[in-house]
Amino acid sequence: MAEALLEVIGLNKSFGALLATNDLSLTVRQGEVHALIGPNGAGKTTLVNQLSGDLAADSGRIIFRGQDVTRLPAHRRARLGIARSFQITHIFENLTVAENLGLALLAGHGGNFHFFRHWRRAPRLEEQLTEALTRFDLLQHRDQPAASLSHGEKRQLEVGMALVVDPQLLILDEPMAGLGSGGTVELTRIIRRLKGQLTILLVEHDMDVVFSLADRITVLVYGHDIATGTPAEIRGNALVRQAYLGEEG
Amino acid sequence: MTRKQLFLLLAAIFLTLLPAAAHLSGNPYLLSLASRILIYGLAAASLDLLLGYGAMISLGHAAYVGIGAYAVGILHLHLGAGDLPPALALLADSTASGLAILPLAVLAASLAALVIGALCLRTTGMHFIMITLAFAQMLYYFFISLEAYGGDDGLSLMSRSGLPLVNLDNDTHFYYFCLFCLVLFLYLASRLVHSRFGLILRGAGDNERRARGLGVNTGRYRLALFTIAGGSAGLAGALLANHSEFVSPGLLNWTLSGELMVMVLLGGIGTLFGPVVGAAVYLLLEEGLNMYTEHWMAYMGPLLVLAVLFARNGLFPLLISERRRHG
Ligand SMILES: Nc1ncnc2c1ncn2[C@@H]1O[C@H](COP(=O)(O)OP(=O)(O)O)[C@@H](O)[C@H]1O
Ligand SMILES: [Mg+2]
Repeated sequence: MAEALLEVIGLNKSFGALLATNDLSLTVRQGEVHALIGPNGAGKTTLVNQLSGDLAADSGRIIFRGQDVTRLPAHRRARLGIARSFQITHIFENLTVAENLGLALLAGHGGNFHFFRHWRRAPRLEEQLTEALTRFDLLQHRDQPAASLSHGEKRQLEVGMALVVDPQLLILDEPMAGLGSGGTVELTRIIRRLKGQLTILLVEHDMDVVFSLADRITVLVYGHDIATGTPAEIRGNALVRQAYLGEEG
Repeated sequence: MTRKQLFLLLAAIFLTLLPAAAHLSGNPYLLSLASRILIYGLAAASLDLLLGYGAMISLGHAAYVGIGAYAVGILHLHLGAGDLPPALALLADSTASGLAILPLAVLAASLAALVIGALCLRTTGMHFIMITLAFAQMLYYFFISLEAYGGDDGLSLMSRSGLPLVNLDNDTHFYYFCLFCLVLFLYLASRLVHSRFGLILRGAGDNERRARGLGVNTGRYRLALFTIAGGSAGLAGALLANHSEFVSPGLLNWTLSGELMVMVLLGGIGTLFGPVVGAAVYLLLEEGLNMYTEHWMAYMGPLLVLAVLFARNGLFPLLISERRRHG
């Protein structure tokens, strides 16, 4: 069995009286595509926010590569190799496409207190940037403001920004949302190509996508992990069928 | 040549020839007004770094202008009284005092911005606006209560700071020195916004969470920018003190912060050059209306409203017919 890249142990987060994360435990293994499914409001995004450091957990622990990151701020976790995309597209709308990817590349390197020289002239950046623009099929849009991209292209850009830093763990929060079937197919292909190169935690609504991509699946209901297993195991799990897939046991 | 380059070239020629024109036409007082415009332009452009590039809405920018001005006033007072501490003995040479006084003014304003910024940047949004204002007002009342340095009445300078090669007491020299400071600032600031630092900062201003998610410690970049903008405002303050040979707590009041903000919005936020245009339009309007009525503010208000309505992105983008931000 591959070793654990990310371990979540007994995590809790409440919003007032609502337990959005309820004694949640989860292990993501090195190299796998791990899907996180659950009905709307199950607490998937809340979990992702706690993993990325955008939200502080109330209690419990998050271990990444053997290190307790529960209390680390978001930018430190990013430096350790956790990259994420957001359910609602988060890109730098007022920056150009090249600036978006350039910023992602530079942010990963750190040490950006250079005030005079043009950012494009940072060491080795130009070739990395061109490579990234090509890889995510955005070369012809490079000097366009990101705001002017289509929804699908924005998604590509966002996933691109998360990937150029060579993360250990890529967390995708409903990347297919609002994409339409063409975009879904395209993004599914991108993710499949990534399989094996890095570990992915995929939050997704589209069951076809999940069952075709995931090595293992965790099912979340009311903030608690009710089951984890291979797609076949999850399909056959009575508890899951009852609670989530909406079938009579 | 783009329209922007053409505009800047024409502006440079105009500003270079202005002293000669003022003297030839027998209106040397215009030079004093022009210097004031350059200085306010510098202060407004430094605020634009925060507003237009860092998405930090500071309503206390006057504080740093005021600190720069007071640093000059206080140092000049001790220079005149001859009771400077030995470490500042260099100042005693009145032909070169400015070489120490001006950098000290910038340093004082930068340090104040560093400390205040570190506290203010713990908050965001509306709270940030309020707390920057609160700190500025605190300093305003602090200087009012500072009886040793004139309190409410302020301080008069015996003369302007001394510099080698230029004689700031000469209005033409002073004008060119202000122009030099402004051009230098605009050049460095334009480089800054497209540098690595500037890119990260614009990103953090655009989408903070995204920037943090990419590994950017946004707070450090913001604080550095806040300090740079504060120091630049301090330079403007130091020039202003020399210009009027007088400093008073009014320089730190929120009304100046508000005026600077209006200049930025009027000229074009996120354009650096626009705020200088805004400062020119604002001060010329003020001067012009002032000649006809003491209630000039009553006319200024509606004019500003019209300007904002018809030039939504400010005058500068209109002048160079460009719509995109961060040009
Ligand atoms: N910031 C918040 N404040 C209060 N309640 C929240 C907040 N964020 C999420 N919630 C609530 O927590 C629950 C889980 O939300 P979320 O994590 O977005 O679910 P999912 O992503 O699985 O659809 C929902 O009931 C939601 O209304
Ligand atoms: Mg969600």
